[in-house]
Parts: sequence; C-alpha cells; structure tokens
Amino acid sequence: MTNIQDFSGYNPTWCPGCGDWGIGIAIKQALVQLGLSPSSVAAVFGIGCSGNMNDFLNAYAIHSLHGRSIPTAIGIKIANHKMPVIVIAGDGDTYGEGGNHFLHACRGNHDITVIVHDNGVYGLTTGQSAPTAQKGFKSKSTPSGIIETPINPLSFAITSGATFVSQSFAGDAIHAASMIKAAVNHKGFSLVNILQPCVSFNKINTYQYYLQRVYKLGEDYKKDDFREAVQKSLEMNEEKFPLGVIYQVEKPSYTDQLPQLKNEVLIDKKRFMEFDKITKTFI
Amino acid sequence: MNDFTWLIGGEAGFGIMTTGVVFSKIATRSGYHIFDYVEYPSLIRGGHNAYEVHVSNSDASHLNPSIDVLVCLNKETYEKHRSRLTPESLVVFDQDEFEIKENIKKIIIPFKKILARLKGQPVMKNTISLGASIGLLGGDIDELIKIISEQFAKKGEEVINFNRQFVQAGYDEVKKNYSDFILNYLVKKPGDDKLVLTGNDAFALGSIIADIRVYVAYPMTPSSTVLTDLAAWAEKIGIVVRHAEDEISVINTAIGSSFAGVRSAVGSSGGGFALMVETLSLAGITEIPIVVFIASRPGPATGMPTWTEQGDLLFTIFSGHGEFPKIVLAPGDNEEMIELTAKAYNLADQYQLPVIVMSDMYLSESHKSVEKSFVDKFISEYKINRGKLINKVITNDKIQMTNQTQNSNIKIQNFLRYQITEDGISPRLIPGTPGYFYQANSYEHIEDGHTTEEAKPRIDQVDKRARKWITYLENDFLMPKVYGDIDKSETVFVSWGSTKGIVLQAQKLLKEKNIETTLIHFNHIYPIDTHKVKELFKHDKKYILIENNSWGQFGKILAMETGIEIKNKILRYDGRSITVKEIINKL
Repeated sequence: MTNIQDFSGYNPTWCPGCGDWGIGIAIKQALVQLGLSPSSVAAVFGIGCSGNMNDFLNAYAIHSLHGRSIPTAIGIKIANHKMPVIVIAGDGDTYGEGGNHFLHACRGNHDITVIVHDNGVYGLTTGQSAPTAQKGFKSKSTPSGIIETPINPLSFAITSGATFVSQSFAGDAIHAASMIKAAVNHKGFSLVNILQPCVSFNKINTYQYYLQRVYKLGEDYKKDDFREAVQKSLEMNEEKFPLGVIYQVEKPSYTDQLPQLKNEVLIDKKRFMEFDKITKTFI
Repeated sequence: MNDFTWLIGGEAGFGIMTTGVVFSKIATRSGYHIFDYVEYPSLIRGGHNAYEVHVSNSDASHLNPSIDVLVCLNKETYEKHRSRLTPESLVVFDQDEFEIKENIKKIIIPFKKILARLKGQPVMKNTISLGASIGLLGGDIDELIKIISEQFAKKGEEVINFNRQFVQAGYDEVKKNYSDFILNYLVKKPGDDKLVLTGNDAFALGSIIADIRVYVAYPMTPSSTVLTDLAAWAEKIGIVVRHAEDEISVINTAIGSSFAGVRSAVGSSGGGFALMVETLSLAGITEIPIVVFIASRPGPATGMPTWTEQGDLLFTIFSGHGEFPKIVLAPGDNEEMIELTAKAYNLADQYQLPVIVMSDMYLSESHKSVEKSFVDKFISEYKINRGKLINKVITNDKIQMTNQTQNSNIKIQNFLRYQITEDGISPRLIPGTPGYFYQANSYEHIEDGHTTEEAKPRIDQVDKRARKWITYLENDFLMPKVYGDIDKSETVFVSWGSTKGIVLQAQKLLKEKNIETTLIHFNHIYPIDTHKVKELFKHDKKYILIENNSWGQFGKILAMETGIEIKNKILRYDGRSITVKEIINKL
C-alpha cells in the first residue's frame, strides 16, 4: 500500500488556515485509501491557489491553463480510460473561465472526477469575486457589490447531465475524503464541490459562516431521484448547504460508448495497417 | 485534346457537389488526371454553385482559363461563366428553362421533359446532365452507371435502376441529336488506379498513415471535412474523434490525449485556430507534441468563409504568447500534403512541440488525383519516429495499481521530464509507467517539472527549448524545392503552399514561348535555415513573390529572417486563387 508520504511533494505555500489544507489532506487520504499510487493516477490542475497543489501532490499530472483542466482531463481519459483522472481546480476556474467545458463534460458523462475548491473569491489574484460569490458580495473587482446572482454548482451539474454530484466542506477533511473516494469510484462524470473559506480575502464565507449553515444528508435521502436532487441543490440559493452525495445514477460513460475502446485501451492498440480499406473509397 | 475543362453550375442545394465528384471519378477511372475546384456561397440553399473539373493527361493542380463543356442547370450559370467560353465550347442547357440568344454551340437537353416523363425529382437534372456530358465527351457510360450503382448500393436495385434511366436519357439525347458535336476527350484509356482526394482528405489519410489516435475538432469551413472523414473512419480504424464544444476544448483535449501517450491532432480554420493559441503556448512550455491543421479562408473575423486566402501565415508563425519553438509546414499539393502530414506527426514527437500544417480553401476543398502507387509506396516507406518517448506503461488496471507498491522498498521517483540535454529534447515518459511520476507544468519549471521562479533554471529551460529549433534545422528542415534552372532564368518566382501547381503551369507555358523561369517553392515554412536560404537569393535575377494575400506575408518572413526584400509581387486577395494568366501577364 502507498501512504500519505508517497503522495506528498513540496510543502504547501497556502495561507495558514486556508481551506486548501483540508482539501489537500483529503485528496491524498482518498488516493491512499483507493489503493492508488503516484504512478497510477492522473491529475489535472487548474490555475489558482488550488491549482498550486501541483507541486504538493505527487502524480502524473498536467498543471493546465486557467479554465482548461476539464478538456485536458477528458483527453487523458480517452487515451487511457483505465487510468483514474482527477481535476483539481477552483470555482472561478471551473464555473467561470471553464464554464462551457464544465457543462459539456457533464453532458458527455466523461469519466473524470472534478474536485472544486469553492471559496467564492479569486484568492491568487488577491480577492476579486468569483461566480459563486453571493449577490452583493463586495470585492476589489466589485466594490459596490456583485450584480450577478451566484452559480449553483450542484443544480448546474445535475441538470447538465452529471451522474455524480456531491458537496463537502474543507473543515471536514474526513467527509471530503469519503466524497472524493466515492467520486473516483463512480463510473462517469463526478463533481465534488468543496465549500472552502478563504481566510485572506473572503470575510463573509468563514468557517463560522459554513459551520452554521452546512448539514449532512441523512441516510434516508434518495440520491437517485433527479427531481429531489434538483430540489435539494436549490437550498444553496437560500444559503443552506447540504453535504454528501446529492445525486448519483449509473449511466454509461463517454468512453463506455465508444466501441473502438471496448476491448482495448487506446494507447495499447496496434497500429492500423489496412490502408486499402480507406484508399479504395477514393478511387 | 486531352486537356479540357468541364463545368457544371446550378442553384445551391441541388447536388452540384456530388455530381462534380462523380465526374472527377469517371475521368480518373478512364485513365486521366483531374484537378477540380468548387465555388459556393456560405449557404445551404439558394445562391450559385459552380463545380469545375480540369481533366488532363498529366498531373495538374491548376485551372484552365477557358471552359470546354459548360453544363447550365440554370440561367445564372450561363451568365456567370459565358466570358470563359470559346467558339468551340459546348453549352448544355434546357431551352424550356431559358433561352440563349448568342450564337454558340448549343446542346439542348430537355431536362424538364425528361423529369416529367420519368417522374424524377428536380435534383435528378444532375444525373441527366452526367449522362449527357459523358455522351458528349465520348466517355464510357458503363463507368458512369457503375459509380451511380456504388453510390446507391445501400438503397437497393430499385433505386439504382431508377437513377440509371436518367443517365441513359441524357446520354441518348446526345447520341441521337448531337452526334456531330461529340468530342473524344474522355475516351477510356489504360491507366493505374488514382485516388480522387481533396487536400483535407489527404491530411486525413496522412494522419492515418502516421497512426493518429485522437482527432479533435469543431466544424469550421474549409477544414470540416477532415473531421467528417476521420469521424466516418474512426470505428473501423480504432481511433477516437471528438467534436468538442469549442476550439479551446478541442486543443486542450488533444493536449491531454497526447500527454497520455497517443498521437493527437486538431484542425480548424484561422478563426478557430485563434481560439486555440493560448493552448499552443501551453504545448510549447509543457513540451507536449501536437499536430495542428489550419485550412485558411479570407479573414479577418468571419471574412469570406467559402473562399481562399493565404492570410494566416504571419499569425500562425507568431501564434502563442511567450517564446517557444514550433514548426510550420505548408504542402504545395496533395502528394506533399500526405508526405508532410505524416512527417508532422514524427516531428511533433521527435521535438515535442506543436507542428502546424497549413492549407487553404483552394488546396483543402479541391480534388486532385493522386496515383495510388504513390500512396502505397509512401505507406511502405514511412517509418514512425516517436523520438525520446519511453513506453513502459502497463494498462492492465490490477498490475498498474499494485505493481510498484508490492515491494515497498522501491521508492517511486520523480521522472526528469525536462532534463537539460544538448539537443534540447528531454526523454518523455508515458503516464502510467510504474515507479515514476512527473508533472507537465504550464509554469516555468525545473528539470523534474516542479514550478520555479529562479533565474538560472528559467534560463536553462528557455535555452533548452530553443535548442530544439537548432536540432530541427540541422536534421529535419528541408530547403525549398527549386523548379527550373536558376542560371538560365531571368525570372525567379518565390511562393509557398498551395500556389505551387499554378506557378508550375505558368512556367510550362512560358517555356513553350522559350522563356526560362525558376520557382523557389517553400513547404517547410518556419523556422528556416537563414544562411542556406540566403544563398538562393544571391543571384542577379528578377525575383517575384507570389502569394494569395495582400501583405506578401511570406515575403515579410523572408525579410525578417534573411534581410532579403522581394520588390516584385503578385498578390491576390479577393478570395480567388491566383491564376496562371496573372503570373504570365506580370512578366
């Protein structure tokens, strides 16, 4: 078995008290518990404080461009669909710059796990408001308060076709690890939206704020009911934050539906040599 | 005269394109070479479509000034193309649809009456006109019927026989009423198998030869048929084609699949490529191989979607922020497209950088016949070179997950993905290889991929990446091809990419008038070997730059790289390709 140390790269440079610490531990914990090693998992990082985990986590990885980690992860999955592929990015990266990619990755049910550090601000660029910031949130880029209403990541994902949608809280690393494990084990597109305080630039959505508003879904919650899941996710709009698997259904993933990948992984296939089959169509 | 032009025109949406390809295939199956060209507006219905086929005894990739057989499915065809008729030209039309007053050689085919008699759809005028054309040109009607049968094979005997009647009706009409007009231009003769390929088909074929595994694209004229070709073949060949949500996703998906170890390419036109350039820069710093196909059309912005231009050259060579090496190739015709496309995949792997293959609408959408023996020979000689790629990945999931952890004494190592080397190229490991890990980092990094902001490793990595260009120029760059004898020529044409065949034809006609000229044709566009290229311009000759754009963009690259300025220019930027006549008139 691997251990946490195997996955540990450089020492993190996050601010003391940052929610990223909890998420970082949760990710490593989940990978160890899944029986993976740095050689057997692919990670794609976005740009931001969350993406800086690229130097702190050992894995085959791409530190991608801002907003583009999802399509990059899709590409890795297509080439080697046996390899678990995780995306580690922020809310601005996933729901702002990369919003279009997120929507279409849900639609395609691409078998990747997207772990979003959702703190409502752009931390690395010193605190401008993110697409998940509450309406009226004052920041350097929205000094009079943000005009737009926040993205609801959960309902966005569910209604776009994601087959695993979950939420966790950076203050509860054990819960976050269990969500990440379940997400990686899920076959299809999985989202783990992790609520996370930014201690430096978000004075509203603090640990206290979340502790008062998060709650864990009970055992009687039916996660495979689409309507109920949408209903549940809409509680976010009233600043109530359910934690757990909000929605999960089994559907064939994108690569499951490619007959050419049924028996073989793309990187292992033999070179196609029957060129006459192609050239004859042009005679 | 076995060098003639047949042109069919009609309203868009009435099957002109399909008819044109059928005509081209009849010609190649009858032993001739073809080059065809299609003019169409960016519309699916309405507007004018024109499809011309230049049939020749020898290889050609240019158009003739005159039209020998003009098939008018509507009056507009006649109006638009009559200026290219000669007293010998034959004009096929239906007098029941419109009148032609001029004294020309009229071949009146009663499309309307035949359709009414045989209860055909208006679109079947094409089928009648093919029958009539084959009759007029002394072609083999059985060859035509064979192609029609292949086309409708899936629809069954009944549909084939139904269509056959229309072919026969057109053919009989000519045989009965116009036997004196029949030109034996298309008499069947022995010849080897030829492929009727567009430049896009040639790129797709070259990619398959090179073992492409992932192609990602978003449709954009005139590049879209690469996507549709490869998508149609994907299951048969065992590759994955993804039509992604936008061009940004397109190139990032391909970066992911290439990182994971398979040959990957993307394609678009200038506008779509503009959306990709941030990620081209990512490919530059992460040193992930990628092949990019650009089929240009006139810009800026939406420009003229269905017309041609070489207007994206400067944008392409400078594409991407920051300093990183890339290689730009621009094939001159289909044969070069197959060769250079397959080479592009090798170069991308060998040098771990983006390789861009440039085309334009003229090359991408025109069909040109290519000898099958040429393709077969190329396939048998082509060798895949993946450079410094190490492939020890074990994809069986159980082995993969436990392999290196069975023996806990073995520490998993950080692979030196960006190791400093003399040739600038570092070993590359396929992710999933047991015992190692590394990150491909969009930030500046040290040899093991970790982020750095220190001065020395920054300089080391910048220099390392730059050395790849030096290695390429020493080993794989090819000088422009020189056509003609520069010592005997007063005039030296300089061109790149798709204008090749046009200039060659101009040279041929000039030679008939005892005027010797030379063409210096570039297809390895960037980077170039400054010293060697300079040598080609030291002669005391009249150099003429020929480009399908208004700035003379390649001329600017030459000036930038070598200090050479070509003052005489033939530039065309109205969406049409340069013609042989324009070149000759410039002398």
